[in-house]
Amino acid sequence: MKPTMFLTRFKIAAYIRSHRVIHPFVGLLAIMIVLYSVRVAAGQELSSYADSAALLVPVFGWAARGLLDTEPDVQRLLSVTAAGRPGREVAGGILASIAVNAGLAVLALAVPLAIGFRATPGPGVVVGGLALHVLSLLTGTALGALTSRPILPDPATSALVLLGGYVAMLLVSLVPLTLLTVPIISWMRAAGQASFLSRSLPSLAAITLFWCALGLFAYVRLRRTRA
Amino acid sequence: MRLANLSFRYTRRAPWVLHDVDLDLPAGTVAEVTGRNGAGKSTLLRLLAGTTPPSRGRISGRPPIVGYAPEIFPVEQPFTVTAYLSHMAAVRGVGSAAIDPWVERLGMTALLDVPLGDLSKGSAHKVGLAQALLIPPGLLILDEPFSGLDAQARAELPRVIEEVSASGGIVVVSDHQNGLAGHPGVLPLKVENGTVRHFDPLAGGSTPIDAPSTAVIEIVVDASDAEAIARKLQAEGYEATIRAEQRAAAHEAPLSIEPRAEGYEAAVHAERRAATADYQPVAQGETS
Repeated sequence: MKPTMFLTRFKIAAYIRSHRVIHPFVGLLAIMIVLYSVRVAAGQELSSYADSAALLVPVFGWAARGLLDTEPDVQRLLSVTAAGRPGREVAGGILASIAVNAGLAVLALAVPLAIGFRATPGPGVVVGGLALHVLSLLTGTALGALTSRPILPDPATSALVLLGGYVAMLLVSLVPLTLLTVPIISWMRAAGQASFLSRSLPSLAAITLFWCALGLFAYVRLRRTRA
Repeated sequence: MRLANLSFRYTRRAPWVLHDVDLDLPAGTVAEVTGRNGAGKSTLLRLLAGTTPPSRGRISGRPPIVGYAPEIFPVEQPFTVTAYLSHMAAVRGVGSAAIDPWVERLGMTALLDVPLGDLSKGSAHKVGLAQALLIPPGLLILDEPFSGLDAQARAELPRVIEEVSASGGIVVVSDHQNGLAGHPGVLPLKVENGTVRHFDPLAGGSTPIDAPSTAVIEIVVDASDAEAIARKLQAEGYEATIRAEQRAAAHEAPLSIEPRAEGYEAAVHAERRAATADYQPVAQGETS
């Protein structure tokens, strides 16, 4: 476990010191400005959080892809030998991506609490917002991992697949059948309804987690043959 | 450590880079891998290191601690030498103190606070070697380890290899620089035609490992270019001498190079010579 944790720390340090973290941060900032330049009225906070979670998926994806691509290809091989097993290097990359995205998600939750909402919402809204951003960051991390350089070596193809994948998820999730993909549109629709936490969230979370797990499983499988 | 029916190709439709490789590497082995550029030497080393999975076949008995020094160390990383090696030491489960002996042995004291991106080729190569040696490896893979090294590190490396071997570790070296010349008991392996074979120097008419010798490659160049080419080869560590010769075509001077030079069209006449254990560049260029 320790090699994976230290490898995670190494990858995060490399990503932050390379200044690549600025790209998703600028994306996050733009979304915060669009969503909260006019203060959100009382009672609309959870809907705003759902919009934020839906819009941030490509930002989280970009951050994960950027983090995984920061490491030169040969360094990835050195990290595998240092960590002792290829699986630890793959796990270190996923954990580092989740950690960076968790930092961005905390900002996305805190900014409206500080300056975006007219009234401070209750704990239920904050928990709902937190859950939605966790689903969003996991979706983005899976999308970013699947479009990282070991899987898609061409940067242009990779960027197109990342954005195209997000748009495809949005379009497919317009269909009433929520099982077909990550139900991003359903997050937004359900968040506006009463009893979101108890009625809608569990099933939406289960479907989202299923697709995220499938995406990350595919990434891990593909990395077995693509060092 | 044993390789059984090992084959590798990049994709299902791609041609085999290596196929049906069977190899036994007992503890303490020092193997030298040779072969032309693109023959699959680096692929073999990565398969051995466990960083690349084989397409078919298997590797058994790989020691748990592997040190891998790449041919070109990736300097495009936002760390100083110390910060980078400290991270690698932590991943390997040791403290930063593990760096100190290698700083001294490889002559890296002045490099510690230098960003990786500012390192010269040879200095970057030392960082690549140091990270592979932070803890005593059971399997040490060195891809062109002598490339660009200064005299101190060049002299130290055979001692490091000897230490790993003496403690039961396996060392596999891809070496164009002939840095292991004179090292006793080296297992010569040649990557050729997609497979790996024990290099039988007598059958192949090439350099025996037990009794190292040199070969003369005769390259015919224009007389006006001879001096520049000789200097270039001498700078790379080869013993190059110029011998002017009158030929029908005129203006051509055969150039002798020892022991192996890549990148030039050359005919090997395989003139056997006495063993050259201590290999140093010799400036003998002299036009006549």
